[in-house]
Amino acid sequence: MFRLRLAPLRAAVVLAVGFVLLRVVYRVVFGGASGAGTVLLDLPRVRLDGPFSHITLFGPITLVGLGNAALSAVPVAGVIVFFGLLNAVINVQSLFARGAGRGPVRAISRSLVIAWATFPALLESVRRVRVARALRGERSIASLLVPIFEQTIERALALAASMETRGFAATRVVTGLCEAPVVLTDAALNFGAVPDQTGWHLDDLNVTLLPGTLTVIVGATGSGKTSLLHSMSGLFQHFYDGTQHGRIDIAGADRASTPPRDTAGFVGLVAQNVRLGFAAETVHDEIGFALAVRGVAPSVVHVRVLEIAARLQIEHLISRPIEQLSAGEASLVAIAAALVNRPILMLVDEPLADLDTSARERVCTVLGQLAHEAGVCVVIAEHNTREFGPIADAWLHIRDHHLGAATFDVISSADPRTGLTGIDRTATGPTATGPTATVETVHPAPPQTQPLVRIRQLSVRHQADLAVNDVSFEVQTGELIALRGSNGAGKSSLLRAIALPSVADAVWVNGRDVRSLKRRSRRQAVALVPENFDDLLFSITVADECRRADRGLVGADTARTLARLLGFDEMTGAAHLLHRHPRDLSAGERLCLVMAIQLAPRPALLLLDEPTRGLDRVARTLVSAALLQAAGATSAVLFATHDDDFACGLATRTLRMQAGRLAASIEVRS
Amino acid sequence: MTVLTAPRRTIGYTSWILVGGSLLAAAAFAWPFFVGAVPADAQVAVPIVAFALIPALIVALALTLDREMYTAKTVALLGVLSAVGAAVRIAGAGVGGVEAVFVLLILAGRVYGARFGFLLGLLTIAVSSLLWGGFGPWTPFQMFACGWVGAGAGLLPHGHGTGAGRWRARGEIILLAAYGVLASYLFGLMMNLWFWPFAVGSGTGISYTAGADPGQNLASFGLYSLVTSTLTWDTVRAITTVVGIILVGPAVLAALRRARLGRRR
Repeated sequence: MFRLRLAPLRAAVVLAVGFVLLRVVYRVVFGGASGAGTVLLDLPRVRLDGPFSHITLFGPITLVGLGNAALSAVPVAGVIVFFGLLNAVINVQSLFARGAGRGPVRAISRSLVIAWATFPALLESVRRVRVARALRGERSIASLLVPIFEQTIERALALAASMETRGFAATRVVTGLCEAPVVLTDAALNFGAVPDQTGWHLDDLNVTLLPGTLTVIVGATGSGKTSLLHSMSGLFQHFYDGTQHGRIDIAGADRASTPPRDTAGFVGLVAQNVRLGFAAETVHDEIGFALAVRGVAPSVVHVRVLEIAARLQIEHLISRPIEQLSAGEASLVAIAAALVNRPILMLVDEPLADLDTSARERVCTVLGQLAHEAGVCVVIAEHNTREFGPIADAWLHIRDHHLGAATFDVISSADPRTGLTGIDRTATGPTATGPTATVETVHPAPPQTQPLVRIRQLSVRHQADLAVNDVSFEVQTGELIALRGSNGAGKSSLLRAIALPSVADAVWVNGRDVRSLKRRSRRQAVALVPENFDDLLFSITVADECRRADRGLVGADTARTLARLLGFDEMTGAAHLLHRHPRDLSAGERLCLVMAIQLAPRPALLLLDEPTRGLDRVARTLVSAALLQAAGATSAVLFATHDDDFACGLATRTLRMQAGRLAASIEVRS
Repeated sequence: MTVLTAPRRTIGYTSWILVGGSLLAAAAFAWPFFVGAVPADAQVAVPIVAFALIPALIVALALTLDREMYTAKTVALLGVLSAVGAAVRIAGAGVGGVEAVFVLLILAGRVYGARFGFLLGLLTIAVSSLLWGGFGPWTPFQMFACGWVGAGAGLLPHGHGTGAGRWRARGEIILLAAYGVLASYLFGLMMNLWFWPFAVGSGTGISYTAGADPGQNLASFGLYSLVTSTLTWDTVRAITTVVGIILVGPAVLAALRRARLGRRR
């Protein structure tokens, strides 16, 4: 309940100082800064007319007047600091986690918990969206508020789902039967109760999964892997407004009538974006959350947390604050948090999406051990199928609204990476007409005397760490460069620093220092599509988004660029997308939209950060073709990725990053 | 999912509790006008009763609404939106009446219904007061007044017009902006009403006079309110609300509606 954390106190002090300053400014403007003592500045008094005649603006400003203004704000400022102090000392969230959950105002008290937890996330959102807006060159209020709003709502839903599946406010204890973790009998899923544009449904589900097995659900994005997984976790029926027909039994409990919170004792869930669902502030509290909300004694929770951490070999993380975890560590912590109740059934949604190769291996090993040594029934929804080849016992393939058993051979022949190498630069399919022309212009890459881009001794410091350490390289016109390296190597920091340099003389494009350029000309030199590309979107239709991007640019036609990136020759091909909400597009289409927006000012250098993150085969094909298209529309493209096959299939050159430094470049293509 | 799905046809007992509670609260706000109606000996007790009644009604209505709100998504949205509302309110605290929080209350009330809007108003004030330290005797009155702003937005008619999508969306924004103007002035009037006898004191031309006929007190109050906030803060608030609804209204409405439909498959 008590702990010391200085960040809220610091924030409160900043807020309090800001409040005092604001009050002084307010007094000066509205004529309240006069008083005894020396006159510092004798502003003329301006008396307002008509209904506002009792208001006088400005007037003489004296030292005493300013002092009085500041003093009058001190009580409130003091209260702000006091509440900051309370925040720093009392862990309100855990207070509610212990005290709330039952009783007559549990819904409202839980809302208060979430409101409280949302504040730090709001600050983080503001930081992120401000960067995104600078990248897009926007200044409107909507471009700031709308993405922040979308993010906080998304976070609220993820957090609520995570608390729900870990037994927050569970009302009855259901005992699970170990023998039959999952039995689906003539089940069908749809969103019938809610008007749903896509008309998604999944029929004829007859599945029995046994203890000690590892099952992988595969299928294209949008085919319903996550929905099928959540029909087992109960979130589909009880949280996402889905409708279930037939019967689904999870360890003996009828899923249609048993909400996720009541089965938290034997169903563990690791959600897609694990960070959004973190409800505690340290790794220890996060792992122990499901026990703590059940009212288990802290000493017992501690022992159990240590046991789980030892099993996953993450003892060294126990005392770490949750926000300092790397992507791989965060996944392992989320798995540990789901294991703390010793589940019979473990559900994992796309565990590998954000991870680099070594972290992927680690997570796969852990999940394999869970099934084959601990006897848990493990179900994974994933499109990165290759890693699970050696450990999976069964494959369930969703195709055409039906579920079928498949073998690994069948699955792997449709694996994204095996498919992708065949696509690369001589793309076929939707891009057949587009890139062929582009390839001609890109391929030769003639050596030039004057490089297009010159990066000179660029360093980026994040607090104590050097995220980017003295990086220098050059980019020639026509190049398509892959920037590779593991998680945390500094790729994102490097791209951000190139797009929005904070020091002079580090980034030169076309012989001009990017740091010295104004907003518009900067975007004509270099544009970045960040990893969180959704942050750049803030309109309610794709057409509005395109119009907004074209504003003030002669000859820009973002809608046409979008159509071309999506592999259509004519505008009409993409016309069906224009009236839709940007966030309703598929991930691949959204990425193309943001690329089109960033290409609108015709930047000389286009940067992309992890463009294939979390995309399935179809979307990767789309993005790789779009990248080639983009390369034709600008002078050079540089993209960061940890996806080896994607990089090999596309790039003319590879740069490798390790611990903030650039390793010697490797030529991949003759 | 009572609140997040289509409005219910039947009026349950909770609706009666809500309506009754709101009427009682309105009476408590308007306590100066009831003083003359009670016996002289009891007149001293009237403001005290009014001050005790409002928090008690808040607790009663919160208890009534709590059960209906008890789904994870409603709770999560209520929590996160009251955090956003509180942040907006705190950010605008230094500039008096510029309470952009009305924008959020109106838009959320419109999408999620009167009950949600009411609770959001309560919680936004509660959270911001808790964080910002603005707790005081005025807080329960603010909570109620903001609750009504959100609830009123939820009760606005839903047009089933035949117009094209774009015009219909514009019509909705115009409706909400007009309601925003109305709500801004009414909010100011309500907040002035209960505080008026304390603010002016006695002996001025616009003072509250116990025992005088309601017409005279009403005229005094009208003048007081006009000078105090209607022409200044309430007008600024109305303009802020209209500008806010026009600038971010369409996008925020879309975001709220998408959250209701569920964005995952």
